Amino acid sequence: MTVSKPKLVVVGNGMVGHHFIEQLCSLGLNKTFEVHVFGEEPRPAYDRVQLSKYFETGSADPLMLTSAQDYQDWGINLHLNTPITAIDIAAKTVTSAQGECYSYTRLVLATGSFPFVPPIQGNDRAQCLVYRTIEDLEAIQAAAQTSLVGVVVGGGLLGLEAANAMMQLGVKTHVVEFAPQLMPVQLNDKAGELLCSKIEQLGVSVHTSKATTAIIDGETALHRMTFNDESFLETDMIVFSAGIRPQDALARVSNISIGERGGIEIDDHCLTSAPDVYAIGECALWQQKIFGLVAPGYQMARVVASHIASLSSDSPSQSFTGADMSTKLKLLGVDVAAIGASRGFDNAQFVELSDNQAGIYKKLWLDDSGKYLKGAVLIGDNSDYSRLLDMYLSQDEIAGSAVELLLAGAEDEADLKDTSIVCSCHQVTKGDIVDAVKAGSHKMAEIKSCTRAASGCGGCAPLVQKIIDQTLQAAGLDFNAGICAHFDHDRQALYHLCQVEGINDFDSLMRQHGKPSASGHTYGCDICKPAAASIFASLQNQYVLNQDSGHVQLQDTNDAYLGNIQKDGTYSIVPRVAGGEITPAKLIAMGQIAQDYDLYTKITGGQRIDMFGATLSQLPEIWKKLIDAGFETGHAYGKSLRTVKSCVGSTWCRYGVQDAVGFAIDLENRYKGLRSPHKLKFAVSGCTRECAEAQSKDIGVIATDKGWNLYVAGNGGMRPRHGDLFATDLSSETLYKYIDRILMFYVKTADKLQRTSTWMDSLEGGLAYLKSVVIDDALGINSTLEQQMDLIAATYQCEWKTSLEQPEFLARFNEFVNPSDAPVADANAYQRIREQRFPNIKDVGAGTIAIKDITEQQTTTDEVLA
Amino acid sequence: MSWINVCEETSLPIGTGVAAWVAGKAVAIFNLGKDGLFAIDNVDPATGVGLLARGLICEMEGELCVASPLYKQHYRLATGVCIEDNSLIASPFDIKTEQGQVLVLAKA
Repeated sequence: MTVSKPKLVVVGNGMVGHHFIEQLCSLGLNKTFEVHVFGEEPRPAYDRVQLSKYFETGSADPLMLTSAQDYQDWGINLHLNTPITAIDIAAKTVTSAQGECYSYTRLVLATGSFPFVPPIQGNDRAQCLVYRTIEDLEAIQAAAQTSLVGVVVGGGLLGLEAANAMMQLGVKTHVVEFAPQLMPVQLNDKAGELLCSKIEQLGVSVHTSKATTAIIDGETALHRMTFNDESFLETDMIVFSAGIRPQDALARVSNISIGERGGIEIDDHCLTSAPDVYAIGECALWQQKIFGLVAPGYQMARVVASHIASLSSDSPSQSFTGADMSTKLKLLGVDVAAIGASRGFDNAQFVELSDNQAGIYKKLWLDDSGKYLKGAVLIGDNSDYSRLLDMYLSQDEIAGSAVELLLAGAEDEADLKDTSIVCSCHQVTKGDIVDAVKAGSHKMAEIKSCTRAASGCGGCAPLVQKIIDQTLQAAGLDFNAGICAHFDHDRQALYHLCQVEGINDFDSLMRQHGKPSASGHTYGCDICKPAAASIFASLQNQYVLNQDSGHVQLQDTNDAYLGNIQKDGTYSIVPRVAGGEITPAKLIAMGQIAQDYDLYTKITGGQRIDMFGATLSQLPEIWKKLIDAGFETGHAYGKSLRTVKSCVGSTWCRYGVQDAVGFAIDLENRYKGLRSPHKLKFAVSGCTRECAEAQSKDIGVIATDKGWNLYVAGNGGMRPRHGDLFATDLSSETLYKYIDRILMFYVKTADKLQRTSTWMDSLEGGLAYLKSVVIDDALGINSTLEQQMDLIAATYQCEWKTSLEQPEFLARFNEFVNPSDAPVADANAYQRIREQRFPNIKDVGAGTIAIKDITEQQTTTDEVLA
Repeated sequence: MSWINVCEETSLPIGTGVAAWVAGKAVAIFNLGKDGLFAIDNVDPATGVGLLARGLICEMEGELCVASPLYKQHYRLATGVCIEDNSLIASPFDIKTEQGQVLVLAKA
């Protein structure tokens, strides 16, 4: 008989529980123990810190930290959906809710915490939710679909995260906080005030010093929340995010020692009062303190793994000695950071910077000698965080005057000592990253996997990238920020070079700034050529198939032939139908053309008509007929404005408050033809019912009774995102100005193929920064941006009309230079389905079922024809 | 095998491709000016669709290629071998000019 292995049981598979398993495996303890992990949620560990990302992607996948497969590969038994309900500390067994009993040699409790729901009458009504698990998010998402207004109870860190999630779901968001300011745990009053005003600018209403007394039926919404000052707020949904409480119920019923105010008491090895039972993470109480951040939880996980390893070998055991609770984050796009004693203390010296113009507040707390940094709070600008944190943790004496610390720029952010911790989640120092880079890991993904830096909360990722870049540069290594092998520049840099130096052809661009090959070729590739073409078009707006400047050779697949190529090599044709408005005469003309050429027709999502199956040589004839019938190109083939979708608006709709169609047509006519880094979609809704789905567009306009609300940076597609409210109640004139500026700023600064949403997120300061540029003219470039847009609008041309006027251009549309030598055409290239023509390629439709349908329908069609 | 006269040299624009029929087969011809003429099968071996002549000319690590318009595989102009997957080959054709005429060697 074989000797059975000792048994290790872990209760909880959250971030800390999972980190413990990773530590265990790295020490090889998964081989010496039989390990059982119990999680009560239906999925293995995921990233709770970045929970609101769920709404950006609509999927839990990007949040997952591991998989059931990983656990299987490690030889660990993972029991999901299995809450543990009892521990027998004498018999050393645990019992699951399903009634199964498991014995343990060592037990680790990583049960985490649960959201605190204040004991308010009515807190269990429908759509009263919490924010902690993916299931909670799903419930919030479902509630948001039927809600116009939502309230988050709690103005702390988690509450503001929840408010962000609610905003993203398009719900008018209120935050109710009991304290007189936001984030009362971390921030002093002035910092709280500034954060509040910044968040209110984003459209969130903040109510401080309010205690909710009851939740009852509302008159205009599902609920009414009444407050201690007799005021009230009506709302359709409520999310409680008023702090967390340690999940210590299991330990409590098992007679393990619990602190007075909750939390499983642990010593420096994270051992509880029960023999061989540890507790780690948010459920654990160390020296009367709960640590509600992920980094201290990870430290505890490491301590326990090292302690267990030390029992069977000579390896040293670590101790838990407390953890730094400093934190840096972006809340609703606003930079917030708190270090050490961030709210100050008695006898502290301090220096303070309050810059109302820039929206920045910083305060540093020093000891009574004024030589050592003891705490800091930063709002609106986090760039000094790493440097200040380093100074706080090292307790090095401040050289010179403390006020200089407030004014030092961010450029030396990565100028840390090698021993400075960069990633506090995984305790990775700058030196670790530098060593990894020197050992050959040059990419962020490689650094993440070999050092684990930036793979916890991810907050240090920009700093890690800087360190990588600096190390590569210092080592004289090639670090390539360029768009492709031919250029070391990104799109923004190329744009500026072309603009400043007046470059308007690829050969010059390549010779002056690119890397022609050894043989002197300036061919470029399918990445840099279309990017250059787009830049030239944005700057000069010349005819894209211009032969003289060689632009024709730069155009990608679709732009090259002014059509959208389909899988069989034919093209689809989409004439512009501005605002989705079309006359019956034009509809008939289009229908006639489609019928004459046997084109498959389909209505697009952008309120126009797509005609498929035109051969290359048919394109010019078809376009001639369309132009004669009054159509113009729809730029469906370009990275440019596609459509401005509209609802019916006030002209016919009994609810409409503005002429959505008329305005959509005007917008489409102003911006049509603008070449941009990615395709652009707009929509205009005539009232708040939002029938045009404007919030899913790059530019969304929704009518109000006072004017227009502007939403920016929404998109559909693979990762849908609601647009952010940019400005309200604008006049048409101001709206055009804002859109001019936003679009030109985007065209100027975005990366290749970067959508407006990712572009805006990539701007330091995000939406707030974009507002400052566009509304407050923070960069002083608005008149230039408007002029440039005026130039684009003034030089608009229908590319098909221009093309038809140039015979040498039309030669491009001959499929063959010697068509008379063609063999007999393949008669089986097409099949008919639902009375229309489809390419005869096998994977059309849904597999075999579709093919069966084809035969049946073919018979009917044949019968009709006969 | 014989040389087939497909067109006049002047009807080949520099820097882009055209398609030509050569004894019943569609051939993509690329005129790269001083770098010469290239001819490969017009049919994209990844999809079976005849359109390589409409692809973008690229230089990938010193080699001249055409990017297929459909899924952007790169085929070397000299050999027709795909950079991303060397089992895909758009077979090359011999091509020359004589007295202003473009001639392609037909395959049996």
